[in-house]
Amino acid sequence: MAEIQALRLGRFSRAIVWRPWWRVVMAWGVVGVALAGCLSLGKIALTPPELLAALSAPLSDTGLIVWQLRLPRTLLAALVGGALALSGWLLQQVMRNPLASPDTLGVTSGASAAAVAYFSLLAADLGHAWLPLAAAGGALMAVGIVYWLAWQQGVTPLRLVLMGIGLSALLTAATTFLLVSSPFSTTLSAYVWLTGSVYGGNWSEVARLSIGLALALVAMAPLVRYALLAAVDDALAVGIGVRVQRMRGALTLLAAVIAGLAVAWGGAIAFVGLIAPHLARRLVPVPGAAQIVMAIAAGAIVVMLADLVGRTLFLPLDLPAGIFVAAIGAPFFLMLLIRQVR
Amino acid sequence: MTRRELLVMALALGVAPGVAFAAGDKRDASAPRIVTLFQGATDTAVALGVLPVGVVESWLDKPIYPYLRSALSGATLVGLETQPSLEDIALLGPDLIVASRFRHQRIEPLLSQLAPVVMFDEIYRYRETLTVMGEALSRQANAAALSTRLTRRLSRLRRRLREHFGARWPVTVSLLDIRANEVRSYLAESFGGSVLAALGFRWNDVQRDLSGVSLKLSGVEGLPALDADVFFVMRHGRGAAVAEHYRRLRAHLLWQRMAAPRQGEVWEIDAIDWSLSGGILGVFAMLDDIDAWLTGAERRGRT
Repeated sequence: MAEIQALRLGRFSRAIVWRPWWRVVMAWGVVGVALAGCLSLGKIALTPPELLAALSAPLSDTGLIVWQLRLPRTLLAALVGGALALSGWLLQQVMRNPLASPDTLGVTSGASAAAVAYFSLLAADLGHAWLPLAAAGGALMAVGIVYWLAWQQGVTPLRLVLMGIGLSALLTAATTFLLVSSPFSTTLSAYVWLTGSVYGGNWSEVARLSIGLALALVAMAPLVRYALLAAVDDALAVGIGVRVQRMRGALTLLAAVIAGLAVAWGGAIAFVGLIAPHLARRLVPVPGAAQIVMAIAAGAIVVMLADLVGRTLFLPLDLPAGIFVAAIGAPFFLMLLIRQVR
Repeated sequence: MTRRELLVMALALGVAPGVAFAAGDKRDASAPRIVTLFQGATDTAVALGVLPVGVVESWLDKPIYPYLRSALSGATLVGLETQPSLEDIALLGPDLIVASRFRHQRIEPLLSQLAPVVMFDEIYRYRETLTVMGEALSRQANAAALSTRLTRRLSRLRRRLREHFGARWPVTVSLLDIRANEVRSYLAESFGGSVLAALGFRWNDVQRDLSGVSLKLSGVEGLPALDADVFFVMRHGRGAAVAEHYRRLRAHLLWQRMAAPRQGEVWEIDAIDWSLSGGILGVFAMLDDIDAWLTGAERRGRT
């Protein structure tokens, strides 16, 4: 195919298909528009010139609102959404299952159980500072257990998914138990966390999440080609020289780390991880870097818009973005599926 | 004394001792612009005579507790206590924000960028709230006056209770919160419980050994753990579900067997004053309730 071009830089070589990239560029244009929208809407709406004025004067009243309140929160939403989308894409690829998502592997339920346990047992003494660590730790531990349970001289995707669903059910029960048996005030903050919220996002949270994700992306770069191959049959993959088990383990771990980081700061909004890759696949049908970038853009847009709706539609109430991720995402997802079937 | 009179009095005390004025008529010109992010801080600010420019929505009788409504007629609502709208706070341009680590730890860095912040660890320690806010608002004298007034009232009421109960004193108490599907008993650590404890009431052996602020019961089998000589019962909500739950409880044999129901010492009180207000005005209203209860009991005793 003439559309494919080879890019060679010494030992590094990649086949690049240029055609889908213009859609990707447009998608990131939409991310930009969404970002501008999130920055200008709120308790006081800013016109584009006012927004520019506020951005250039960080110490003015509106500058403070835009720089310290809206921007970090919106970026946090975008990072959380993008990370969950990426994790979801990886898992759907590795599991060869369109329903796979950070939820199915137990990431969300592990993080939720750990976060709620933290709220009810440790938050009183330690404060909320270690909550992200607890949530991310819970997520990784859950994935580790799922992997270990599914291991039988290697793992097959199906066993992983089934074990993930089983463990999720168990962890959900544990979460519910903790919620029921802990004091009311704990329950309240835990519920907000469980719905998923980027409320109160600040620059240090944005910085920590970006560093974590950047490291994960660097680790992912050499593995992307195996993620693309993960969709083919095990025997075939072995035939072309892929160490299937090792790659499957590495990619699953990577997906778990990425989702764990996102969930640690954004709460359980993992539904994004299911829908964003499907969206990307509609827009960029060929698996590849373009599809990945598209999935990240889609995830970022969904969570940013959900948070925008949550904090502006019911003023002065500030509602968790997670509610609207489902409210915006679910109908869209259903529409997508219906159109796909036809 | 009605609650309104009390409020006027507290306001008068706070703004200029000796000069009375109707609640909410005017703001003290020297008063700082403050935003209070939990109910106890709002209550205490009003008691100190500094009317907040921004407050969070109340838990019951939304959006503002009726006893604070006239004083807070000019205040802006900045959303929920659990998740206040930061943009609204920023737009008010406050001189000071009063918050609690218990609820607002996550947004502490953001709040401190908007204005100086006073952070309390807990939201129910009304004495600490009063002292610290008195200092932060340069109303130490008012805080001290309110504190002295409270101490005096507590000791007067303690004496009165001792006389009323005679040899039975100190009696055991349970401060019960009836919700739609559960019952809470507030212990000596809690807001209302600490006032009762300061008056000399005691909790039964089971509850005395518990740590924390409350004991939660979701079935009737645990009812005997609440047994006490006196019950103060509040309803957490004005709806039919709570009323129905309370009716079912009272009809239950285990309830009727406890000491307070047997001796007719069950006293219904308001959840706002006894639990949700979280501040010094709420405490004064509690003491009024207990005074009224004793007066009623003594009148019944004479006839």
